[in-house]
Amino acid sequence: MPSWVDFQPFIVTGLALGGVYALSGVGLVVLYRATGVVYLAFGAVGAMGALIAWSMANAGLPGWLGWLVCVLFSAAVTVAYGIVFGPPLAGRDPLVKAVATIGLTLILFGVMDLLWTTSGGESRSITLPTDNSGFMIGQIQVNWTQVIGLAVGIAITVVTGAFLRYTKLGTAMRAMANDREISATLGVPVRRVEAAAWLGCGVLAGVAGLLLADMVALDATTLTFLVISSLAAALIARLRSITLTFAAAIVIGLVHDLLTPILALSSYRDITPFVLAAVALFVLSRHRVTSPSREDA
Amino acid sequence: MADTAGVATTVERHPALRRPRNGTLVRACVVAALFLFTLFALPQLLSLYFVDAMTQVAVYSMVALGLGVLVGRVGMVSLGQVAVLAIGAWVAARILFATTLPYPVVLLAAGAITMVLGTLIGLPALRMRGLYLALITLMLAGAITVGLTTVNFPNGGHGFLGYNGSSVHIPPIRRPSIASSDPAYFRYCVVVAALMFVLAYAHIATRPGRAWAAIRQSESAALAAGINITLYKLWAFALASFITGVAGGALAGAVRYLYSIGFPTQDSITLLAVVLMGGAYSLWGAIVAALLLQLLPALLNNWGVSADWLTILFGIGVLQVLTTAPRGLADQVPRDLARLGRLIREQLRRAAAARGGAQ
Repeated sequence: MPSWVDFQPFIVTGLALGGVYALSGVGLVVLYRATGVVYLAFGAVGAMGALIAWSMANAGLPGWLGWLVCVLFSAAVTVAYGIVFGPPLAGRDPLVKAVATIGLTLILFGVMDLLWTTSGGESRSITLPTDNSGFMIGQIQVNWTQVIGLAVGIAITVVTGAFLRYTKLGTAMRAMANDREISATLGVPVRRVEAAAWLGCGVLAGVAGLLLADMVALDATTLTFLVISSLAAALIARLRSITLTFAAAIVIGLVHDLLTPILALSSYRDITPFVLAAVALFVLSRHRVTSPSREDA
Repeated sequence: MADTAGVATTVERHPALRRPRNGTLVRACVVAALFLFTLFALPQLLSLYFVDAMTQVAVYSMVALGLGVLVGRVGMVSLGQVAVLAIGAWVAARILFATTLPYPVVLLAAGAITMVLGTLIGLPALRMRGLYLALITLMLAGAITVGLTTVNFPNGGHGFLGYNGSSVHIPPIRRPSIASSDPAYFRYCVVVAALMFVLAYAHIATRPGRAWAAIRQSESAALAAGINITLYKLWAFALASFITGVAGGALAGAVRYLYSIGFPTQDSITLLAVVLMGGAYSLWGAIVAALLLQLLPALLNNWGVSADWLTILFGIGVLQVLTTAPRGLADQVPRDLARLGRLIREQLRRAAAARGGAQ
């Protein structure tokens, strides 16, 4: 068993990774609550944005422009999808809506693989300027990207929570999460509120894509399907509570990275989000979660 | 997925009317002719490259069939079928390296062991439906894939896992003695696949098929009709896993060297997309899906076109299928039914009003 000192650096990386998972998870939960869509293309739009940012940086453009374009691209694609495919699928089963976003994922993934081919073994990386500067806590080296990862995760959770609680638009989203038709009857501008939720989710996808490209890898496949791990946190929170999503994401990030120094379990650490999510879903589903009325909502 | 089942539902609702008598003979003749053509003429006509591709088609038609049973018959979506296929391939490869058992026995054993493990994956289906079931199977598939990546596929090593990391000379996975050449193994796979289709058809056309159709349309109604929902849901998972496990065994002999990188979690997602495109509600859909999944990439590769175009096509195909497919009646949530009723009443009223105005 490794000593405490071995674990220390992994607490920092784990918290940072958890922060980014939280960012993704909150984006997924907000969109699901407002529109009933589990946005499986979350990773793909972020990945494509990050690849565009990489190309722009390679072309000699300033870095901040690339990051901005990355976020704008993710937001634009997500909103466009929401406007085109949201309304026709609005009355369908949540599963159909989720599978439809697989369509978008595959399209984006194909385009990414065509434009930024990986078959040549070419490796790309995004380095944010915050990677190389940092500080020490005790004996642990911390860089600013890790701080940003955790800080953005916390900030997004708090801001989104406050937004849903105290603003008119947030209240409208919560109303739609309960019942889309009744909300519409009561005068909630359903499509506009949905568009806002898609926009928020798209922006978060872009930010998450950039941070994950820096912290994990800038690779279309990895980033696209990292959404499966991010989804785990949202699933533990049953796609409802953003506070719980945040907590679950931090736990997943910490457990994942803290397994690294334990040799026997190190190679299994990628299993963490899946096992935690599967166990949580299994235990939590004891209550009548599949009753017709709940599925209906 | 429930509400895309519209076409199948209207047919399934009246078991007596399901198959018009005069069509049955014609259909049986077409199936027999196609089967014989595939078995005897096809390997002669195709180059070795396409024979290999068609072997993959035969294997993946079984995988698509397994998913089709779950999605199309019972309305349960699994996003973990490629992980189940990997389990089947692993078990078959392990048995093939360890023993000299005849191939059919190995295939049956792989199917049986995969059936047990796959049914465990299906256990969540007893508690959850729809979206949550799909997502938990995705999580379990992710876990299985990570596990398999770590333990690796057997390559003739010793011990329980049969993996020898330092081995320079890796022996190929053996094939049945009667089917060691590529065309012969293609024929072997076609026969195996045909048997699996017969097995699935035997289920669908009899009592389990009717129970599944009832569960798909309404679990409450099925329960009220005295159908053992737990039994039939697990039965569906067991059947699907058995078929997929046998497919895994056939795959092991087809590719002869197995690597965990060949079974990524995202392939389960693509598989669902393609099965939906092919049509999850008919047995032909499974063959169409397998052709899309395995023959098209081989064709494109032959023409020098990137397979990425195919991924894009699948994406567009899924969106098209889901947005334009008729709104189903199967297992539909009460609100959708209510809305449909409202729509019909509205139309009737309008029609009546129009008639009234004309008189």
